[in-house]
Amino acid sequence: MINRILTGGALVLLAGVLAGCGPGNKPVDQGTPNKVLNITVGTEPEDIDPHVVTGVPEHHIIVALTEGLVAEDPVDLHPVPGTAETWEVSEDGTVYTFHLRGNAKWTNGDPVTADDFVQSFKRILTPALASKYSYMLFVMKGAEDYSLGKLKDFSQVGARAIDERTLEITLNSPTPYFLSLLNHYTWFPVHIATVEKHGGMVKRGSGWTKPENFVSNGAFKLKSWKLGRKIVVEKNPDYWDAATTKLDEIHFYPIELETTQENAFRGGQLHNIYNLHIDKIATYKKEHPDELRIKPHLASYFYRFNTTRKPCDDVRVRKALAMSLDRGSITKNVTKGEQMPALFFTPPGVAGYTARARIEENVEKARQLLAEAGYPDGKGFPSLELLYNTTEGHRIIAEAIQQMWKKNLNINITLQNQEWKVYLDRQREMDYQISRAGWTGDYPDPNTFLDMWTSWSQQNQTGWARDDYDGLIRKAAATQDVEARLELFQQAEEILMDELPVLPIYIYTRVYALNPAVKNWHANVLDHHPWKHLDLEVKADE
Amino acid sequence: MPLLDVNDLTTYFHTRNGVVRAVDGVSFQLEKGETLGIVGESGSGKSVTCMSMLGLIPQPPGRIERGTAHFDGTDLLHCTRKELQSIRGRRVAMIFQDPMTSLNPYLRIEDQLIEPLLIHGLADKVSAKKQALAMLDAVGIQDAASRIRGYPHEFSGGMRQRVMIAMALITKPDVLIADEPTTALDVTVQAQILELIKKEQQELGTAVILITHDLGVVSGFCDRINVMYGGKIVESGPTKEIFYNPQHPYNRALQNSIPALQAKGKELYTIPGMPPDMSKPSAGCSFAPRCEHATDLCTSEPPELQDIGQAHTTACLRVQRENLKP
Amino acid sequence: MLKFILRRILETIPVLLCVAAMTFFMCRLAPGGPFDEDKQVTAEVRELLNKQFNLDQPLHKQFIQYITHLPTLQSFKYPNRTVGEIISQKFPVSAKLGFFAMCIALGLGVLFGVIASLRPNTYIDYIPSSLAMIGICLPTFVMGPLLMLVFSLQLGWFPATGWGGFSGDQFFASDMVLPSVTLGFFYAAYISRLTRGGMLDILTQDYIRTAKAKGASGLRVILKHSLRGGLLPVISFMGPAVAGLIAGSFVIETIFAIPGLGQDFVKSAFNRDYTLVLGVVMFYATLIILLNLIVDILQVTLNPKLKFD
Repeated sequence: MINRILTGGALVLLAGVLAGCGPGNKPVDQGTPNKVLNITVGTEPEDIDPHVVTGVPEHHIIVALTEGLVAEDPVDLHPVPGTAETWEVSEDGTVYTFHLRGNAKWTNGDPVTADDFVQSFKRILTPALASKYSYMLFVMKGAEDYSLGKLKDFSQVGARAIDERTLEITLNSPTPYFLSLLNHYTWFPVHIATVEKHGGMVKRGSGWTKPENFVSNGAFKLKSWKLGRKIVVEKNPDYWDAATTKLDEIHFYPIELETTQENAFRGGQLHNIYNLHIDKIATYKKEHPDELRIKPHLASYFYRFNTTRKPCDDVRVRKALAMSLDRGSITKNVTKGEQMPALFFTPPGVAGYTARARIEENVEKARQLLAEAGYPDGKGFPSLELLYNTTEGHRIIAEAIQQMWKKNLNINITLQNQEWKVYLDRQREMDYQISRAGWTGDYPDPNTFLDMWTSWSQQNQTGWARDDYDGLIRKAAATQDVEARLELFQQAEEILMDELPVLPIYIYTRVYALNPAVKNWHANVLDHHPWKHLDLEVKADE
Repeated sequence: MPLLDVNDLTTYFHTRNGVVRAVDGVSFQLEKGETLGIVGESGSGKSVTCMSMLGLIPQPPGRIERGTAHFDGTDLLHCTRKELQSIRGRRVAMIFQDPMTSLNPYLRIEDQLIEPLLIHGLADKVSAKKQALAMLDAVGIQDAASRIRGYPHEFSGGMRQRVMIAMALITKPDVLIADEPTTALDVTVQAQILELIKKEQQELGTAVILITHDLGVVSGFCDRINVMYGGKIVESGPTKEIFYNPQHPYNRALQNSIPALQAKGKELYTIPGMPPDMSKPSAGCSFAPRCEHATDLCTSEPPELQDIGQAHTTACLRVQRENLKP
Repeated sequence: MLKFILRRILETIPVLLCVAAMTFFMCRLAPGGPFDEDKQVTAEVRELLNKQFNLDQPLHKQFIQYITHLPTLQSFKYPNRTVGEIISQKFPVSAKLGFFAMCIALGLGVLFGVIASLRPNTYIDYIPSSLAMIGICLPTFVMGPLLMLVFSLQLGWFPATGWGGFSGDQFFASDMVLPSVTLGFFYAAYISRLTRGGMLDILTQDYIRTAKAKGASGLRVILKHSLRGGLLPVISFMGPAVAGLIAGSFVIETIFAIPGLGQDFVKSAFNRDYTLVLGVVMFYATLIILLNLIVDILQVTLNPKLKFD
């Protein structure tokens, strides 16, 4: 009888397995010949309203759906015509006049007008909307005052619709990177009538971005958005440059965990891995070199010093800590992603700027400085806590640095990891001594990195400020001459590396994998890949 | 042709502490309608004998080493499982010692009563329920119609035993094996239960094997008696013979031990010594260490049951050879 | 029984209120807010944001608004969706995952537990019991990727991630197998041990001997006489098992990219998404209370010695 049970049980199991069997048609196998790109950009986007979001996953989806005045060249991202066909710049570099093309349309057929842009700028600057990213528009005259409620009349702000297709923008000072800035989604237009129909201009989450309501002007339009599952966009045939668009559809999958991304990639469900885990780099180098991509990224990994608290209030201590690290060892043995050890703060290679200033990695000098500060050979060194947000990657770096300081300076620090929100809170409240940090550039210009350390920047959070530093950044914003401007930045960076309110560690790389069938994907430091240029090619032998 | 013919039934339990020879070469016969009593101490092998016949011994660690048990042409010890299952509960029924635990607490009385009929295809559900009700009434449960849907824990010990009897006899079996049916019950209830079994036996013509350690119970009830000691039958015969003409020292000693038959105020007679350790077989008679009549002969030669006339058999060597009068 | 259910419902209301209050206030006590992120903003912007979402109101007013309007509240992290929308779209996925996992758990667990109990201390017992031990000890975040590696990536029998096939709407799809097995295996292991223990206990009882004496076949002895009692420990276990399934689904959903509610359960706390946290916690609390009620009712119906009181 037990034999009957065993056989019966085995048969049931087998039936169940067979019923469930079948990998089905793999999305990549199906998608590649049908020009359907299956991609993940990490987490689920909070929204696709360009005026209320701040994240990178949101960026990737928004730029598929919406277009600003200019667009990005697929190879080096320099500004090329977008909704605006042509433009002129005034002599003093503060007035830009854009001529919108006649065939720029919203997905509901309405033409894209200059006033659409003006109203959109107004929206993101309206205080009641409480946009977190509105500061991206502060180069525009009156924008900051309007956002603070100091200016009530928007017609005083430097955005004017001269006629249906002519837009005039006036800046506070000549901003050489202004056109690149326009590629940031905070400058993108939204369909005003739709926004107003659904709850009004300042209501967040009003539902105007839901697939059944959304109206946009980009190369793709929103087809469906299944929460937690995927966002599907399809080619917009009415887009003025639809001839360039090669993909039929893009399916964005929200997958956060790196290992899940990888499994989906290997299982033929995705065309990419958004972030490849550190430990897999060596394997991919060996076994899948055609899929692996390691590219420099416009982002900096550093530690903040709280310069208002002991012991980091002493610049000699800060210097000692910075000089006693072996960054090369960290990038080679700990992070393993071919990151560039950073002896300065601003990532090199944008707008022709590579910092002159250097931190010297010199253990002897570091020890000397520590002794001068009153802690010879680490004796009497007060307790020092390193704060970081709970992630495996940050932990191993922190541990390596902890060891280096122990070995080279004979000091003991404690590591404290906190949940993301708690960590942010502590940093903002300046309730820390050293804190791990990272910063990705918003636009390809050194200003996005160096203006963080001014006395007025919200991002500072170190308690450090210097009048001469502030002055240099302010002057650079008003300088038109490219060379002169870069020189001002160099000087600012020298002060920064001399004072070290921050401890640069490395310049990020993006480590990811891409199915070779994806074409026209060009690596760049911003990691932007304009979707309308991408193509999928079936391999010849498939 | 006897209804039940058991020959050299031997059951050993293979435990970690050795092989326990629970039943060691037991042979007896049962005629149709006959009442056979099996008497002995705890551990004498009386329950194991009957449970072995029906295949109710857990087979590891127990093992039926040898023997046959022919019931109406089928050897119960060597037939297929299906054959055995078709006989169990249908033609040979068994009731057990502890009525408190012998009924399934999760099933209604009705379901348990109709089960033998349904298993053996003797009736459909409707007719089975009717028969169950009639049976419950016949065994003396008051208000049977309303109680039949109850659960075992709603019945007292005596009532549960009545239910067990009803359940066993509902298929009108040829043999009813009653394993110490009254041991766990009050004295007053004991008599009632025995009366009930007797009544049903007379009505249905069922043969009964009554297993007990109580001599008083078998004296009024059984036609024949097997006395067991140490896994063997040491004496067997008609009830009258067993009581009035004991031919084995153990039997005599048992009767001497009946408290009611002893002088008031005097010290009670007990059989000296302890029951034998069934994992350590003895060379001679297993009762010898406790027997007041034991000699060298008894400890050296293993005794066999021998007929001494009047359908009376004994396994005492001295009785067989030296005409001992125990 | 009706009185029992009614009484339970009445008892539940203060419990749920307590849970709501504790969740609401504990959330607020944690440092960090729903709109904090690494791009810092001015205090003015923060204030305006809080105002848009009524976070500047006195706490008790917010609390009352939350518990009276819970399903219609906007999520702070995904303002386009209400709490009710998110739960109603994502819970069916988690429910199905949990259901399949439970089917596997009960199916495999009871089957192997019964088999093991029929031949205790033999290989037929040792093998399922050892597998059960492995299942209990191996955490889901190890087993999941392991199964994925073997059965999906190497053998190609099942898709690696996803739920509901390519369209996402298939009722039965091959991508449901690995996640359900991973989640259910631990419970199958546990249930098999409970079943084995319960059955062993029952099988040595006298009434099983009685059943055999009545001529019952082995199958009948198991099905009719043993399972009802033998499964009682399993039934009792179902209450905590469901809670565990709900908690465990987070890991499974993350590993297999399943759009279920488990992920939101955890992430909403990290995001300080006050409304969604309250919504999901209250939803799960109600669910667990309901399921425990069902388990209790089941226990009384199966065990005649218990009564509804």
